[in-house]
Amino acid sequence: MEQNKEMTAQQSLQLISDSFNKSRKDILRNSANYFVLWGILLTAISLAIYLLWHLTDKPQWNFLWFAMPVIGYPLAALVGKSNAPIPQNEVSKMLGGVWTVFGTFALALSAIAVFVVPMHITLIIVIILGLAECISGVLLRNWPIIIAGFLLGVGGAIFALLVKSDAQLLIFTLGGILLLATGFIVKLQYK
Amino acid sequence: MFPKLDPILHSELRLAVMSILAGADEADFTYLKKQTGATSGNLSVQIDKLASAGYIEVEKGFKGKMPRTACRITPAGQEAFKSYVEALKEYLSAGK
Repeated sequence: MEQNKEMTAQQSLQLISDSFNKSRKDILRNSANYFVLWGILLTAISLAIYLLWHLTDKPQWNFLWFAMPVIGYPLAALVGKSNAPIPQNEVSKMLGGVWTVFGTFALALSAIAVFVVPMHITLIIVIILGLAECISGVLLRNWPIIIAGFLLGVGGAIFALLVKSDAQLLIFTLGGILLLATGFIVKLQYK
Repeated sequence: MFPKLDPILHSELRLAVMSILAGADEADFTYLKKQTGATSGNLSVQIDKLASAGYIEVEKGFKGKMPRTACRITPAGQEAFKSYVEALKEYLSAGK
């Protein structure tokens, strides 16, 4: 890039627009790795709980859900380190905020459901998970993420109301696969 | 009468640096160099010009044991960048 190149007004605006678009794509590329990570984790843990619950007939296996943040957050930190370094901006901060809020709500509501007041936790979690993914898609202006979030939230809610007990865990297995697929689609879009 | 385009910003490399910094909290020298494809010497000179104009702040420090130069846009830089974009839009709309 030359510092004294004569630019027209059109070229200058194009340069500014390209720079903003590139920044959005960099964030998308990095966020794809988080979708893949949480997708794998959600699929593996939900499937493990489903199988253990099914085989032993003990719903206590649901406590394994608490392993998700314990394993997930250190791994997410590793993914963050291996991602291409990009500067923080408003979108990346808002994305971080959305998923922190989701994690806090999911953990708090799960703990309340287990220790204080029983509630339809599968229904609640699947709705807020879909909502968080949908909002991420809106922030990143990415249709595959928006659609996946909508399918997860709305489809998952319907499924949660139709099926009973341990089979509900398969909603999260499907949700995990959907997150994983979202990550791969975004990776393919911006490789 | 068209507004005069800010000569500090109306330069390809300086505008590229400002466009990156306008959308980020801060960016380090290595990142700016990679994104703009400029040479270290050229980029240093242009960063100094932007800093002298009060459009960006430059902070030299260390990340671990590695030296790190962080750049961030100042409120004056944000204002100048905004005015520059407005001026460009006026030029373009007049040309239609």
